[in-house]
Amino acid sequence: MTGDLAIVGYGLSAIGPGVGIGLIFAAYINGVARQPEARGMLQSIAILGFALAEALAIFGIALAFVFAGN
Amino acid sequence: MSPALQVPLLASGSHEFEAPSTEIFWQPLFGTEGALAITRPSILALISVVIVVGLLLAGTRRLSVVPGKGQMAVEGVYNLVRNTVARDIIGEHHFRRYIPLLFALFAFIYVNNLFGALPPFQYPTMGRIAFPIVLALLVYVVYHAVGISRKGVGGYLKGLVPSGLPAWIVPVVFLLEVVTYFVTRPVTLALRLFGNMFAGHIILVLFISGAEYMLIDGGLLLKVVSIPTFLMAFLMTLFELLVQFLQAYVFVLLSATYIADAYAEEH
Amino acid sequence: MNLAATAVLATAESDPPGDPLYPILPHLGELIFGIIAFAIVLFVVAKKVVPRLEEVYAERRAAIEGGVEKAERAQEEAERTLAEYKQQLADAREEAGRIREEARAQGAQILEEMRQRAEAEAQRVTESAQRQIASERQQAALSLRTEVGGLATELASRIVGESLHDEARQSRVVDRFLEDLERGEHAGGAHAAARSGQDS
Repeated sequence: MTGDLAIVGYGLSAIGPGVGIGLIFAAYINGVARQPEARGMLQSIAILGFALAEALAIFGIALAFVFAGN
Repeated sequence: MSPALQVPLLASGSHEFEAPSTEIFWQPLFGTEGALAITRPSILALISVVIVVGLLLAGTRRLSVVPGKGQMAVEGVYNLVRNTVARDIIGEHHFRRYIPLLFALFAFIYVNNLFGALPPFQYPTMGRIAFPIVLALLVYVVYHAVGISRKGVGGYLKGLVPSGLPAWIVPVVFLLEVVTYFVTRPVTLALRLFGNMFAGHIILVLFISGAEYMLIDGGLLLKVVSIPTFLMAFLMTLFELLVQFLQAYVFVLLSATYIADAYAEEH
Repeated sequence: MNLAATAVLATAESDPPGDPLYPILPHLGELIFGIIAFAIVLFVVAKKVVPRLEEVYAERRAAIEGGVEKAERAQEEAERTLAEYKQQLADAREEAGRIREEARAQGAQILEEMRQRAEAEAQRVTESAQRQIASERQQAALSLRTEVGGLATELASRIVGESLHDEARQSRVVDRFLEDLERGEHAGGAHAAARSGQDS
């Protein structure tokens, strides 16, 4: 079996953001369940946090391409 | 189990399945096939301009206080960008200047993202990094220009560090903030959009081409398995539709956040 | 995998700077197209779409504000009318009370007047009755006087046996007798009568 070790690296780098995004949305759901009227405010904060956590995974995929084939 | 039995069950065709790779994104159409080649995403970007401009102009041609159907749709999107993003994040005083930029960003990105799922195009323009880079660079220039014009170069750099920190930690924080403002933010802004569209497109191509291969070249078992694979491709397309919207929204949201940061006295 | 095959072929032939194996490196042609495309969109949005939409927003806000103002005005007017009605109602009540009071006063006055009139009438009736009684008494006294005179004369003439028919003497005697009688009324009837009897 052949493949690229960089892609394995991407897989590893996706673990952290995966957990992080899960936590963010868990907190968001909790918040909305407790205070449904704060939904609008929480939503943009949750998406912002989601985007920031996701950035790490995106770094992973970008670096996977950078190092692929080297 | 003999190989003779295995072969017709799994593969009847002669050629091997070739997994989609990053090469599927390189599609020059006309001209020289070098740096200036006119590629498929370039054409798609131009088509998206026609679509965006056409829809927006048609939707706002005869505006009335009581909106019609087209105006209602345009206003719905405009409301999202204007009120939920621009006004709530940048603030009541300055947000009007940035509505055109944010609205144009959202419309352009969303239509180009939708190309990833719309049948005649089926290619996410933003899956080519050049386009996200252009947009991120524009936002980068805008928010730095805002910050510097409001506070001056020295004030802007000084504003990066929150006041009240112990003296020994200031250089570290300053370095971190400079990296964040000048490198991480634009790079992640561009890479996030690119990475999502790129990876989403590869996933779709993988599912569809895999299912197609199993259906046409596979044996009996693979032909049966291809049905859930097609189903999965369909589900992934729905998921992609969500991601396409979300990424356009996130791009605009982050742009607004960066601009708001440039306005903030200290962050 | 037709596309991939052509792509591979293309890369093999020219090895473009936008090397497909490095998808995170931008392709120059696409950069240019991206700039042009977004510039057009941004231009149209900034010059046409946003101004139009903002205009509608302003109009709508004005309309809503106008509506609110109108509603406020209507409410104000309603309140004013209500106050007016209440005022009128209060006025009417006051008027009714006043009229009632007046009527009561008038009634009382009428009653008073009637009573006065009745009293006056009663007094008048009493007075006239008294007057009548007085005149009747006088009349009676007068007739009594002549009659008593006649009788007394008769009686006296019978007792005396002498005619007292001389008119002048007769009337003088009677008059004296009566004067005595009247005086005697004050002193004592019987005594006077005895004296007058002596006189006669």
